[in-house]
Amino acid sequence: MSAAAVHMVIDDLGALLLFTMILIVAASQIYRAIYAVAAQSLLIAVAGAVLAASTGNVDLWVIAGITLAVKAVALPWVLHRVVQRMNVRRELEPVIPVAATLALAVAVVVMSFQLSASLGPVGQAITGNALPVGIALTLLGVLVMATQRTALTQMVGLFASENGIFFTAMAVTQGMPLIIEIGVILDVILAVLVMAIMVLRVRSTVDADIADLDELRG
Amino acid sequence: MIGDRPLGLVLLEMTLLVLLGPLVTGTIQKIKARLQCRQGAEVLQPYRDLAKLFRKETVQADTTSGFFRWIPGLVLAATVAAAALVPVLRAGPPAFPLGDAVMLLGLLALARFLTAVGALDAGGAFGGMGASREMTVAPLVEPVLMMVVFSTAVAAGTTELGALAAHRGTSWLLAWRAEDFLGFAAMLLLLPAETGRIPVDNPDTHLELTMLHEGMLLEHSGPGLGCMMLASHTRQVVTLGLVSALFFPVGAPDGAGAAALLLGVGAFAAKILALATYLALVESSYAKLRFFRVPQYLGVGFVCALAALGLRIL
Repeated sequence: MSAAAVHMVIDDLGALLLFTMILIVAASQIYRAIYAVAAQSLLIAVAGAVLAASTGNVDLWVIAGITLAVKAVALPWVLHRVVQRMNVRRELEPVIPVAATLALAVAVVVMSFQLSASLGPVGQAITGNALPVGIALTLLGVLVMATQRTALTQMVGLFASENGIFFTAMAVTQGMPLIIEIGVILDVILAVLVMAIMVLRVRSTVDADIADLDELRG
Repeated sequence: MIGDRPLGLVLLEMTLLVLLGPLVTGTIQKIKARLQCRQGAEVLQPYRDLAKLFRKETVQADTTSGFFRWIPGLVLAATVAAAALVPVLRAGPPAFPLGDAVMLLGLLALARFLTAVGALDAGGAFGGMGASREMTVAPLVEPVLMMVVFSTAVAAGTTELGALAAHRGTSWLLAWRAEDFLGFAAMLLLLPAETGRIPVDNPDTHLELTMLHEGMLLEHSGPGLGCMMLASHTRQVVTLGLVSALFFPVGAPDGAGAAALLLGVGAFAAKILALATYLALVESSYAKLRFFRVPQYLGVGFVCALAALGLRIL
């Protein structure tokens, strides 16, 4: 594939990633947020495969494969199981109204494009819109974590945030060393597993959620 | 300006759209029925409904003013005029001054406004409710549609739909940029709202709590109701035509001769069928949203459209 074609495909994947991120921000049911984040990871894996095919970097193939198996299939499945086990209300009740969250999301997206446009020559060296999309994904993930009450949706936010960092790293460096990528993925697996177990344990012993911790006083 | 579409072609396209409108509705109903494991009515059923309505006499409430009688005709006229602006068989600018996409959206908005005025004029409670809800949804849908149109218009440098479609060219999917994906995503979210379908409105119900558009038609009867139904069929096919003009290529690349026109007809049928299948799938797999959830749903479309426009300009 020519460099221009790769450029364009990564750009398009970036747009689709942004779309899945908006779906996560606006999700009204927890399952939808989980499916959207799974789709997002799938797109990241495709982006990895495209970059691998264009650069001939074998490490990138491995990373794309691991991303597909772990982040697009296994972790969403774990989250799905936790939701089923917990038997929680499936409708999400964010801290602030979804319309306000969406307005904030617009501001974040515009800001990240503005920021990377102001980078000038540094920004030019980087593949297309990968940098602004990556920044937007990361910040929107944080936004999801900040506006959601339940631990599970905060995990989805963390997950999306991590996807953003991963996408930027992949597109900017044309593939980081394999050992770093595997380290990052292991971190995410551990984080999700630990959080999933924590959530289940907390739920089964005190029947509380993250939002209730506000009332905890020493 | 030398145009590619003479007056005759534009009139032919308009007639085609108006005649095919009920067929599209019938097809969506049929696909929906099959998805729900029902036999369903024939695809020609909307034509039969229209024929029946046009044979009936008009019955009106005593409270209506004289203007009420004119509403169905005006709504139909505005919608049919909008249909003239959609390129169907061949891309390219028209040979004579014709409105653009902004005009099309304006005409659709005019039809919507007249429908609401008619519903309020009759003084029925359901009509008022329907009008109030429709007018709540409309300001959320129309600006976003506008933004999607502009996000493609900025690239082509014109808002004329034929020229926009010509700019899209033939290598369309490969040439789709990031903005097009986002704009198309926004359009897919808006389509059910603009065509009055689940999850925003439910075209099949006459239950007072769920209907938006149907509530406004309750006071009409006979040929007037027929006009209103025909207008909503046409509005639907015009909206689908707008989507296909904005995001897919229209007609044959070297559009001349009968073969190219036939190819244009085939391509148009394929595009409309694909979009109709999408609408039927959405209608069968989602529940209607609670009314106060609708702004949130449309907000997703708004953010997508804004991002598409931002990407295009920045």
